[in-house]
Amino acid sequence: MTRVEENKEGIKGMANPTRYGIERVAYLLMRLTGLGLLVYFVAHIAETSSILQGKVAWDEMLALTQTTGGHIILALVIGMCVFHTVNGIRVMLGHGGIGVGTPGRLDYPYKPPSQNARHKIAIYSSIVLAAIAMMYGLAVMFGE
Amino acid sequence: MRESVIMKIHYGTALAAVALVAVHVLFRLTQNFAESLEYESVIANYQFLPYAGMLEIILILLSIHGFNGLRVILIELKQGRSFEKSVTYGCIGAMALVILYGSRTIFLTSMGMT
Repeated sequence: MTRVEENKEGIKGMANPTRYGIERVAYLLMRLTGLGLLVYFVAHIAETSSILQGKVAWDEMLALTQTTGGHIILALVIGMCVFHTVNGIRVMLGHGGIGVGTPGRLDYPYKPPSQNARHKIAIYSSIVLAAIAMMYGLAVMFGE
Repeated sequence: MRESVIMKIHYGTALAAVALVAVHVLFRLTQNFAESLEYESVIANYQFLPYAGMLEIILILLSIHGFNGLRVILIELKQGRSFEKSVTYGCIGAMALVILYGSRTIFLTSMGMT
């Protein structure tokens, strides 16, 4: 593959999680969770607007969300929200130059100082925290 | 507007939204989760003006953050002057619609017009 074609992979290149390690996985998850949360946000606004049509409409809408499927979707939203928040703070700190190390000469095997253990730990922590939050959410929703 | 300024707004709205959404979620946990979603309880929440004001701020912050995020993702996928302009104006339009629709719910419910 020529360099020009390599740089024009579009969505395939963006979605490939194997090429650059956990940083690429975090990049992909950040975008997927962002899109998921945007869809949930718009749906939540549409859902809550049913309150304007009175108690019956609200109860009908609530019944739709108080099902096993509704609880699972909400648990996924909780997980996406926690991952997006924690990883977002990591990205913000990185953009501010915090935790990225000092620039150095790139020698083989070309490990950039910015892709260091601190950032990798932060990414894994955000995934673990998201899983814990999802479990807590499921316990609250199914525990009633 | 310069992209660096837009990203500062993106990060600012994110940090503010995290704090306010945490309060919004904690409101659901002040009582039993199912009870907090009952019609009377939700109406009482909306008619508590500081809370209604906070919901309006969350609506604006998340709309700006969400639709700017969508704009960034779409521009990462494809570039070009006309594509970027349509994405930017499309996202601003969608953001305005969501804010207007959400504000309508907040204002009418908090004024007791349900």
